[in-house]
Amino acid sequence: MANALRNFVDRFLGRGEAAVTVPPLDGALKPNSLLEDAAFGLRVPAADNLVATGEGLVYSSGADLHRQPPCGGPGMAFRTLGAPVSALAVSSAGILAAATGRTIVFTDTAGRDAAGLSAGNHDWTGITAMDFAHDGTLFVAIGSSKNALDEWQRDLLDGGQTGSIWRLDPATGRVDRFAERLAYPNGIAFAPDGNIIVSEAWQKRLVQLTPTGRIAGQVIEDLPGYPARISRSARGGYWLSIFAPRSQLIEFVLREPAYRRAMMAEVEKEFWIAPALRSGYSFREPMQGGALKQMGILKPWAPTRSYGLVVELSADFVPLRSFHSRAGGRRHGITSALEAGGKLWATAKGGDELVAVALPAEGK
Amino acid sequence: MASASNLTKLRYRFIPDHVIGEILSKKWIDNAIPFLVLLCVIAVFGTLIPNFFSASNLSITSRQLGEFALVGIAMMVVIVVGGIDLSVGSNFALGNFMTLALLNLAGWSVWAAVPAVILICGSVGLLNGVLVGYLRLRAFLTTLVTLIIVRAIVDMLLLKYAQAMSMSFYQSDLWDLMGLGGFFGIPFSFCVLVVVAIVGHVLLTRSRPGWRLMAIGGSRRSAHNIGLSVRGTVCAAYTISGMLCGLAGVLYAARLSGAGTDTGMGLEISALTAAVLGGNSLGGGRGSIVKALIGAVIVLIMTNGVLRLGLNSGSGPMVLGLTLIFAVFVDVRWLKNRDKLLNKVYVSPTYIELPEPVATSASSGTAFALNDRLKHVEIIGLAAVESPEDVILDEDDYLYCGTRHGDIVRFAPPDYTSHEVYAHIGGSPLGMSWDRDKNLVVCVGGMGLYKIDRNRNVTKVTDETNRSKLSIVDDSRLRLADDLDIAPDGRIFFSEATIRYEMHDWPVDALESRGNGRIICHDPKTGKTHTALRNLIFPNGVCTAHDGQSILFAESWACRINRYYISGPKAGTLERVLDRLPGYPDNINRASDGTYWAAIMGMRSPALDVALRMPGFRKRMARRIAPDQWLYPNLNIGCVIRFNDKGEVLESLWDQGAENHPMITSMREHKGYLYLGGITNNRIGRIRLEGRNEAWSGYSNYWGGRDGERAA
Repeated sequence: MANALRNFVDRFLGRGEAAVTVPPLDGALKPNSLLEDAAFGLRVPAADNLVATGEGLVYSSGADLHRQPPCGGPGMAFRTLGAPVSALAVSSAGILAAATGRTIVFTDTAGRDAAGLSAGNHDWTGITAMDFAHDGTLFVAIGSSKNALDEWQRDLLDGGQTGSIWRLDPATGRVDRFAERLAYPNGIAFAPDGNIIVSEAWQKRLVQLTPTGRIAGQVIEDLPGYPARISRSARGGYWLSIFAPRSQLIEFVLREPAYRRAMMAEVEKEFWIAPALRSGYSFREPMQGGALKQMGILKPWAPTRSYGLVVELSADFVPLRSFHSRAGGRRHGITSALEAGGKLWATAKGGDELVAVALPAEGK
Repeated sequence: MASASNLTKLRYRFIPDHVIGEILSKKWIDNAIPFLVLLCVIAVFGTLIPNFFSASNLSITSRQLGEFALVGIAMMVVIVVGGIDLSVGSNFALGNFMTLALLNLAGWSVWAAVPAVILICGSVGLLNGVLVGYLRLRAFLTTLVTLIIVRAIVDMLLLKYAQAMSMSFYQSDLWDLMGLGGFFGIPFSFCVLVVVAIVGHVLLTRSRPGWRLMAIGGSRRSAHNIGLSVRGTVCAAYTISGMLCGLAGVLYAARLSGAGTDTGMGLEISALTAAVLGGNSLGGGRGSIVKALIGAVIVLIMTNGVLRLGLNSGSGPMVLGLTLIFAVFVDVRWLKNRDKLLNKVYVSPTYIELPEPVATSASSGTAFALNDRLKHVEIIGLAAVESPEDVILDEDDYLYCGTRHGDIVRFAPPDYTSHEVYAHIGGSPLGMSWDRDKNLVVCVGGMGLYKIDRNRNVTKVTDETNRSKLSIVDDSRLRLADDLDIAPDGRIFFSEATIRYEMHDWPVDALESRGNGRIICHDPKTGKTHTALRNLIFPNGVCTAHDGQSILFAESWACRINRYYISGPKAGTLERVLDRLPGYPDNINRASDGTYWAAIMGMRSPALDVALRMPGFRKRMARRIAPDQWLYPNLNIGCVIRFNDKGEVLESLWDQGAENHPMITSMREHKGYLYLGGITNNRIGRIRLEGRNEAWSGYSNYWGGRDGERAA
């Protein structure tokens, strides 16, 4: 009773749960344009999910797998799969796993099918991220059991909490559910202590799962954007990609069920008030007051639906530094980032680009 | 679903939410809480005390009120200027004693005694004023000192003369009228109060000395900095306070004809309570006669009521004390939160359902199909002008535009590289037109309608119109005159986009999408201005039709263009020319072939269209999130369309990247070129038009050119 009353008062006054607040980009997250200004950018449609193999970096572009030497230089497509690739993982034994459509394909790093490995009979739709554990089992994150991958905005607006993590033993094809009822798990990494770090996009946090699948706690919360994949850094920490920014307007719309329903029913999804991988391409996209150009200039701090952000976290998940592409920039919608060859590589899925930023030697 | 939306529609049509914000933005709303307290007090004591509303009781009460409220006003005058006067009680007692002494002992007439007493009490006030105003002593201590000294003087005088005074008795008709009689059954003292209150109210709210008083109370330092004589004004306030106390003392003497040591005892506390209860801010700068009167009535009813209820002796001051602390509490809270509340509730969206827009995709085959015809616009005056909302050319091909600095800038032909400030008006010059005598008539946001003659003299044409009877905001002033055109008979028709927002907030009006705007007509022959059409949704872009019988204007947020007949058989009627526009139309101007150009200043986004049907959503958005984050109409890209009198769109000109010339609010065709202006731009654009009349210019089309060619 008291709770219901408090909720009502909160909604009326815009306090508590009803408060629309977004953490500022401050401290280590202070905006810069390192990502936007990075010299190396390779035009790759829908670049996604970088992994490091023994023979260079591998990433996907639609249904193609590309290889990129970490020193720079030209890359090449080496394998085409039947359907768009939504996630990649590479094992220490050099096995490459690619999630395509409803299955997981295992190949070696040259692109030849790996014999004797199986994804079981499970229906693998909606895979957002994968990673191999040290024992060779594959951890698979499924973003949502309700909405397809390209309906991720609907999943957010519906308050989706139907994501799950599965464990697959490719040698036997045995599948078991590891964790469920997650709000869009969108990245997996393994901590040195054997715990599993999962980014829970709609909760804007990273959680730590014990090897038994129990949530041990959130290691970082209230991120300023929606997290995507996680990779290990050379300094024992992590690189976290943030694929879209939070904004007050979106947080507000999330609290307005009637409007949300009407909008989803009547408006095409690229014009929703929802985070996006890219924005500014059509005048029918929603615009916010601060994004009104003055004297022909869009302010870089203008409210935006898309953004490019990669954050380096310490081993204790404290943000150390960040790389940005701000409002009005092109390198938006960063879905994965990887440190290799003294550079930070990132896939801007929204900006259709593979970007490399030279990392300063130790420290800053 | 349909019925729910109908209900919403009705609810927003008949319940005027916007009024709340407008009432809150009024100054008199400060009186709302004291007034409510007053009503409560009257209700409570009216029911508790028998015969409260009887004629005799009202008469007695109003006679007392006459005296007490004068003291209350005296206190208020000093508080408004940022001080305090504790000596009102002693001064009142002095006035009472001096009146009786002059009449009874000295044998003066009433006509001589009353002014003398007012002057004597005024001089006590003057003493306070000199000490506080000129010698900069603390008001509280100074008036405490005068309180004690004047009280001591009165006591000494009483000791000496009380016996003699009580022996004699003054008798005159005038004196009886003052003490016992009145006019038309209204007690004399109350009549005096009414006169003082009216004069005081006019002085305080509508005269220079009154404004200075308020200004000094509001911020002493700022008042000093702008050159007001702070010392003199403060001194004057204390003097006036003293004189009012004297007047009250005279009336008290007339009523009771007796002087005692307890006369006016504790009056300063009651008067202070009255002033604060009424809502006069102790910090100064905020107060009025009405507040003082409300406070005085409350205090008088309460003290008398407690007395008549027969409560024991301590309870009167106790009730007074409790109310005072309540009043101070409410006053502080109100002052702190009023602006916050106003900020939250001022934006009050209403229901609007826009029709499905015409398709704009390149493959749609409509006249709106996207193209890149504006991609290679020539840029004029890059970074030399800011916010050229409208552009216009004269017969000699000079190009004029307004800037947000309040200038009219002129570019010289043929290459338009050199420019000069043609005239400075101030405000934000928006729409422009030539009249028959080649004067440039300009709508200036924030100022009104102005005219620049050929010698570059700027004169005001009009800045006000008739006030509508039921409008709460003062809509007689022009806040956002937007675009104009001149009819063949010389009448100037211009639009005021919104009466609820100032110049820099104009896009916020889109969130409301209420009919906040109007079309106004100014007739230079009579010099009169009147409102022709009301309740239009951001009217904009006025253009006289080619036949001169009607004007075309855009209703921006409703995405439509209307026609209003100004002469001929259909004069006074309004009809729709064009709707379902995919964007927000702005200025409309004539084209050389008998059609019209219209600028589309921004494009509709489907997410906003949905929100327009949900006023509650937009209202909560305005309250919950920062203005920078509000959902806005997309004003970053637009286009130019050409349409004819029948309302058919013939072509559209786009720049899909909107890089070169970002935003378009206006365009003029002139001798084969189209010139473009945009309110958020720092440049003017122009583009060559193919196959247009190369001799055509706007001025000659309106008023007949050098070549004698008069448009049909």
